[in-house]
Formats: sequence, structure tokens, C-alpha cells
Amino acid sequence: MMVYIVSILSIIFVVGFVGFSSKPSPIYGGVGLFASGGVGCGIVVSFNGSFLGLMVFLIYLGGMLVVFGYTTAMATEQYPEAWVSNMVVLGSFVVGLLMEFLLVLYVLVGEELKVVFEFNEIGDWAIYDTGDSGVFTKESMGVAALYSYGNWLVVVTGWSLLIGVVIILEITRGN
Amino acid sequence: MNPLTLSLVLTTMISGTLIVMTSSHWFMIWVGFEMNMLAIIPLLTKEHNPRSTEAATKYFLTQATASMLLMMAAITNLLYTGHWSIMKLINPTASIMMTMALTMKLGLSPFHFWVPEVTQGIPLMSGLILLTWQKLAPLSVLYMIMPLINMNILLIMSLMSIAIGGWGGLNQTQLRKIMAYSSIAHMGWMLAVLTYNPTMTLLNLYLYIPMTVTTFMLLMINSTTTTTSLSHTYNKLPLITTLILITMLSLGGLPPLTGFLPKWAIIQEMTKNSSIIMPTLMALLALLNLYFYTRITYTTSLTMFPTANNMKIKWQFKNSKQTMSLPLMITISTLTLPLAPMMMILD
Repeated sequence: MMVYIVSILSIIFVVGFVGFSSKPSPIYGGVGLFASGGVGCGIVVSFNGSFLGLMVFLIYLGGMLVVFGYTTAMATEQYPEAWVSNMVVLGSFVVGLLMEFLLVLYVLVGEELKVVFEFNEIGDWAIYDTGDSGVFTKESMGVAALYSYGNWLVVVTGWSLLIGVVIILEITRGN
Repeated sequence: MNPLTLSLVLTTMISGTLIVMTSSHWFMIWVGFEMNMLAIIPLLTKEHNPRSTEAATKYFLTQATASMLLMMAAITNLLYTGHWSIMKLINPTASIMMTMALTMKLGLSPFHFWVPEVTQGIPLMSGLILLTWQKLAPLSVLYMIMPLINMNILLIMSLMSIAIGGWGGLNQTQLRKIMAYSSIAHMGWMLAVLTYNPTMTLLNLYLYIPMTVTTFMLLMINSTTTTTSLSHTYNKLPLITTLILITMLSLGGLPPLTGFLPKWAIIQEMTKNSSIIMPTLMALLALLNLYFYTRITYTTSLTMFPTANNMKIKWQFKNSKQTMSLPLMITISTLTLPLAPMMMILD
């Protein structure tokens, strides 16, 4: 069963996405985001990316989604739409689940595990062997490279996040 | 708008376009497009009324969809070639998707529906930025991926854009919508020659931007947004009527003026490549554009429209609007046809 852990986590990932793509109220959509985010971390960790998985859990789920939950709780509407309260939401959720079920059947019957990419265990987190100072995985090397070769990317993404907040405040300022 | 916010927003908008133009990694190009789009949204909603909110929403939705398509095309390219660099989009799927995404950003047919609606709902200055600066980034990416763009798709879209830009603008009296349809038609001309000789695309761009800037600045002097109020300028600033005459005719592509140069160069490049029907059709459809430009000059400078008596004689106030470099822009956009042999520096 451990061999198929990535497939199972991916299925739950997609079901979580279907859960909030069928457009319930944002509070219930947040549940789907939490589930998908958590399971996504699981997928990353099962590919030997332990540091990045923990980063997503801490910062994305524990920081950004918590703030999202607080703001949607502040801006909630009188009759929020859950998955079973509105026929449209329920219908799109069921259609999404049906599509995922058919895809899973196709993968199982077709006797191959290659839908978009190969579900290997190691994947392509190849191992750099830099002499005798131990084993460096690509994932932590990637994070380190972000701050050395990827200076410009850090500057640009930091600036974009700051400007995103400034712009949203400017737009919703009203008068 | 708050000066600090305005400077931050303008800085981000400019640096977004610069990031798109100077990056070699598809991810950075996507980041540049998103920065550009996010930063211009407050400029679109500068006057807070529901019409500008609607315009900003439509702009955001179409541009976000186009950015997502762009990312999808880059990832498809990654899947088939294994790298993120902007050499060429080898895979036809990635190439077609990228072309669709970029033409959606430019407002080319059949993705042109947002251009008149967004241009109409925003102030004149924001409309100017939307129709000129926002075209630079997608056109630079199209110029970079030019060798493997599917020529048929691009030519069909360009011809449809020229037709729609012509026929769509015929029924308009609102000047911002007329300029939007003019932008659609000019984008059609620019992309028609992209697969033949992209230098002519750049030439058209370098002349279209001054002409559009000139037109918008002339409109901003009196804050006129309708043909009717433009027809009253003979009473306020009579010189503007002459300037609008020559600028509009230049936009329409009449020979002794600058606007003729890009059309001439494009038709020449296309006929050099043994394509006869396409430039003929393009030239014929450009006549529709010329018709509504001529109609504007007719109402503005050639006739005096019927008005109420109190609008026939007005107090002549001193003009207090800032017209930055307007004489220079007018000269560039109407009198530079004799500089045509200098075109070779574009290569």
C-alpha cells in the first residue's frame, strides 16, 4: 500500500480541489484548501522533500490560510452556501468527483501509473554528491540556490507580494 | 490618488513590463505579466464609480485567464523540451497556446470583446496607458517566439481584427470606444506581418504609440469623450481642430502623413513574400477605419455642429491643463514620413 501512497494522496488532492471549485461559500472553500494543502505537503514529503513540505505546512497552511479563515469569518454572509444547500454546488461537486473516479478507473485498468508524469518513489529529486561532506538533496540545495543564484527572484517575488497587498488595500479603500 | 500609492503603482507597472521584456525564463515572464496587470488595476478604478469597477473586473478576468494560458504553455514546453528558457516553443501545442494567451492580452480578435468596454469605463489617462504601454509586453514576447508561431492562426486572427476594428468603430460616437476599436485594428496590422518580417511589427508599434498618445492628449486638453463635445472645440481652442484633423488622418494611414509608413512597409513585406490576397484585404478593410476617423474630423474641423446659442460664444479662458510635449508628439505622429529611409536602423 505504501507503494501507492502518492496516487492516493493525489486523489485526495484533486477531491479537495473539486470541493472548493464547485464554489461553496469561502468558509467551506477554506476546508478544501486546507485538505488539499495538507495532502500536497504529504506528496512533497514522500518525494524526499521534507524541508519544503514543512515550509508549506507552516507558512501556507499555518500563516496564510489562517489569515484567510479569519477574514472570511469577518466577511461572512447571512446564508452561506455549503455543498448540500445549493443544487448547483452539489451538481458541480458530483460531476468533479465523477471525473476523478473515471480517471482513477482508467489508471487502474490501463495497468500503468503514468497520467501526467511517472509516479516513481524517488522521482527526480536526484542526489548531488559533492565530495565527502555527506549527501545533499536537490530540494534543500534548491532552497539554498534561491538565496544565492536566485537573488533577483527573491526581490521580484517579495516586491510583488508587497505590491499585492498595497493594491488590494487601494482598491477596497472605497472613496 | 495618494502620491505614494501612485508612485508605487506606476513603478510596479513599469518594472513589470521591463521584467517581461528582459527575462530569459518563462516563469519570470509570467511574474512580470502578473505584476503589470495587478499594478494597473488601481489606475483603472481611479474614479470610484460602478462603471470603472466593472471595467477593472473585465480587464482583470481576461488578463488573468491569458496569464494562466501563458503559464500552461510554458509548462507544456517544459514537459516536451525540459527547459524553461525562451529559445523557441518547439512543441506546436505550446506554441499555439502561447499565441492564444498573448493575443488575448493584446485584445486581438476573437478575444477583442474586452477592449471597448474596458476603455470606455476608465478615465482618459488610464485609457491611454491601457492602449499603449500594455501592448509593449505581449508584443515583445511575440517577437521573441516569432519563428515557430503558426502563421495561419495569426493571419486569420489579424484579418478578423482589422475587420472588427473597422466595422466595430463605425457605429460609435464615444471617442474612447473609437480609440479602442482603432487599437484592435492596429494590433491586427502589427501581427499580420509578424511571421514575415517582425521588424515591420516593431515599426508599426513605434509609430502607433506616438499617434495614439497624441490623440489622447488632444482629447485630454478639453476632457472630451464624445464626438459631440469634440465638435464644440472650434469655440474653445480652434487650433485643436486642425491638429485633430491631421492626427486622425495620420491614424487612418493617408500618404503624406506618418501613419502611411507602417501600412506601406507591411504591405511591401507581405507582397515580397508572394502574399497578395491578404494585404489587399487588409488595405480594403483599413478603409473602414479611415471612414470613422474622417467622420471625427468632419464633425470637429470641417463643420460647425448645431449647438445651443450659449455655446456659440464662450469665455476664452487660459488653458490650464498640462500638455506635456504635445507639439513634439504631433510632429512625430504626422510629419515623419520623409524619414522612411531611416527604417533600416530597426534591423
